[in-house]
Amino acid sequence: MTSDLNRQDSHREYDYFPGDGYPGDHHSLRLRRLSSRRSIPNIPHYNPSSSDGGDSEADNQGQPRELRGLPQHMAIKKAKLKSRGILVPVLSKAELWKQDKLKKLQKLQNKAREFLYFLTLWGKTLQKIGGNFGGGVRSYFLFLRFLVILNFVSFLLMAGFVIIPSLVFRQTGVSFMNSNSTAGEEKCTIYEPNPPGLVVFYDYFLDLLSGTGFMEYSFMFYGYYNNTMVEDRNFSYKISLAYLFTAIFYFAFCLICIITRMGSAARVAVATGGSTVVNYSMIVFTGWDYGCLGDTATKLKQKNLLYRLQVDLEEERLKKHAASLTLLQKFGLHSLRLLMFLLVLGLNIAAFFGIFYATSYSQNQSAGKESDGVQALFFEYLPSIVISAGNFLVPLLCDQIAKVEHYSPSITVIVALLRAVVLRFVGLGVLLFTLWDQITCTGKINDEKCKLCRYNYDSYPCWETRVGQEMYKLTLFDLLINIAVLVLVEFPRRMVVDNWSSKISQLVGRQEFVVSANVLGLVYSQTVVWTGAMFCPLLPLINTVKFVILFYCKKITLFSNCRPPQKTFRSTTSAFFFLVVLLLGWMLASVVLIYSIAVIRPSLGCGPFRFYDSMWSIVPKSLNSLPAVTQEFLFFIGSQAFTIPLFSLSSLVMFYVIALFSIYGKSVRLLRQQLKGESRDKQFLVKQIEELSQ
Amino acid sequence: MGNKQSIFTAQQLDAYQDCTYFTRKEILRLFYRYRDLAPQLVPLDYTKQPDVKLPYELIGSMPELKDNPFRQRIAEVFSEDGEGNMSLDDFLDMFSVLSEMAPRDLKAYYAFKIYDFNNDDFICKSDLEKTLNKLTRSELTDDEVKMVCEKVMDEADLDNDGRLSLEDFQHMIVRAPDFLSTFHIRI
Repeated sequence: MTSDLNRQDSHREYDYFPGDGYPGDHHSLRLRRLSSRRSIPNIPHYNPSSSDGGDSEADNQGQPRELRGLPQHMAIKKAKLKSRGILVPVLSKAELWKQDKLKKLQKLQNKAREFLYFLTLWGKTLQKIGGNFGGGVRSYFLFLRFLVILNFVSFLLMAGFVIIPSLVFRQTGVSFMNSNSTAGEEKCTIYEPNPPGLVVFYDYFLDLLSGTGFMEYSFMFYGYYNNTMVEDRNFSYKISLAYLFTAIFYFAFCLICIITRMGSAARVAVATGGSTVVNYSMIVFTGWDYGCLGDTATKLKQKNLLYRLQVDLEEERLKKHAASLTLLQKFGLHSLRLLMFLLVLGLNIAAFFGIFYATSYSQNQSAGKESDGVQALFFEYLPSIVISAGNFLVPLLCDQIAKVEHYSPSITVIVALLRAVVLRFVGLGVLLFTLWDQITCTGKINDEKCKLCRYNYDSYPCWETRVGQEMYKLTLFDLLINIAVLVLVEFPRRMVVDNWSSKISQLVGRQEFVVSANVLGLVYSQTVVWTGAMFCPLLPLINTVKFVILFYCKKITLFSNCRPPQKTFRSTTSAFFFLVVLLLGWMLASVVLIYSIAVIRPSLGCGPFRFYDSMWSIVPKSLNSLPAVTQEFLFFIGSQAFTIPLFSLSSLVMFYVIALFSIYGKSVRLLRQQLKGESRDKQFLVKQIEELSQ
Repeated sequence: MGNKQSIFTAQQLDAYQDCTYFTRKEILRLFYRYRDLAPQLVPLDYTKQPDVKLPYELIGSMPELKDNPFRQRIAEVFSEDGEGNMSLDDFLDMFSVLSEMAPRDLKAYYAFKIYDFNNDDFICKSDLEKTLNKLTRSELTDDEVKMVCEKVMDEADLDNDGRLSLEDFQHMIVRAPDFLSTFHIRI
């Protein structure tokens, strides 16, 4: 034991209190210079009975945790444990029992944690990916896993509240036929999804791909559900109400999931103070990943760090250069940038017009039912093809344009990403706008086609199913394109590069896994699913399966064909950024949802909302059947007497939080200055001591 | 499971559990990893607390460490003699600090010691240069190395003494979100 204590002579002992962060008053210059402490360190300060408050790890595990958090060699810790064993009999029996139970609880928690880790979906795969390809690629797969789970849970929601009750009650329930329909609208109620006559065998396959035919009048799409109602003594269930509320709750649930996840990511983003801020000390001291295994991965990581440092230094140089430009040069640079911006805008608008024309043409073709077989399929998929082509070509051109613009590297990456995001979302928006245009005759109700039923009956006897079909086709096409690119582009590229050594293949090299482009693809698919979930209740399930297939495909291509990325930017691979873009997609989808619930008239020929003026109007009608007290309560919540005080209260809370935030910022700055001042005092005093001792 | 092992006494296992962030199973698994490095040197019976130290060369050849440019510093920091020769206690200590359950302050303390090449409890310019060279395989030019070191000192040195103390280091680590995940070896 004494040898352990003697060993401390060679190490300087720090007064270390886990949870304080800074040792504070216990430190003085004298203590820092001392090199040995004969007594067992920290025991005088160590108070067993007050250990509960001493941890910053936010757990009340008690004493055992505190010991392992001490930065000392094992032998010292064991010695402390032993000496604590001597102190323990001083404690009462109740304390002993409490400690014992705490220990058992801890062991149980450890076991549970081990079990949960084993249960985590794809845990081992993610770890392997992270070790070999770095944190950026891993964050993409983490995001994919999050989306898979989100989609699966939403599917369970839909199944539980809409699909299964529909299945069960279809035979037993009562379907409403509203007799309030005005004369002349009988024409609108005709809807025949299954054309009579012989069907060619390959039509089944074509129908599977385009959602028509045998798939149209099935649980897949909105048109199959009726406003069945079941009423019993204690139990009543209205499918239409359930459908509406499930759709709304699905959106709210997704929003809550995204925001919860953003919360933890945001905390991280705020702590770093913005990831575009260059921070050399961070790179040097926290850049090295100790979990990196293997020679190639290590070399790659080192190259990565080298690149990051060089890029940061380059940015410094660019900044200095930009600051030293003459006025004429600055003017030239800015006008060039403006020109490029206009060019990019022009490219985007061209792409949007392409999508608009493709969608209108495709809708007209399928409404006319002129073509047959594979040609019909091609016309059905025309919007998807144009959108995918646009999403591929336009960013490529923008990359070339960016070379002319001479932004600093980090800004270039962010600008490229923003452009891609805008392209994808506005492209989808244009598609939806075109559909709306066709369905509601551009909003003009008095147009001759839409006069009778308030929507374009001729082309769209059941417009919700058609919208659902479009979303279904987009989803399917996205998956097919991904697999096709995998098989036809990535594997051959790898084979060419590996087996044919020439200058070109050296130049091109194995491909890199570009995280940002892939993430945008995921966000786009998820937005499509959100838009279509109302009209195609099985879409979340299809999307879950699609994402699972995508996970394995991407994993295979990653390990077989890709080399790890050498040049990455933190800001573009952060989880917070992915979630912000996902939130944008959610907002787009919710606009569509709100519009279709509140404004457009549901089809008269199909669906659980026929004979209602809008999907939302079922809610006021059902409210009338509630007991009077509930009705009054609900009306009160919606009235001004409640919402205005609520609004003022939440504004108050928000102002308070903002004030708190700014105060904390100020106090951090003050403390920093205090720290600097203290060190200056220290240096002054040391100089005084030296002068006096001479 | 686990109650039949005869390598450690129950008391020893409990002590290890209290002094590290590992469970019983993990401690036994780590013991077998330690033994695999040199089966002829490490006895199967630790109840008498034999004084066995594995030389640094064996520790540095572990797959988790052999490609790490800082492996020598890691072994030196965690070994009792400061030369890299580790006993089982040191071995467990090292992986406990590098495990995912160790708190940030503890990891920051040891990271500081790892980057402090001359063991003077401060990270001075020469320590920084050595760290940088290990990080980038000495591929930065001298000029760039100097610039980066200057920038790091500017950012992190709060008490303006031309070198980083533990407080400066910890203050900087607080603002690094992924320090916990990068300073982590899974074994």
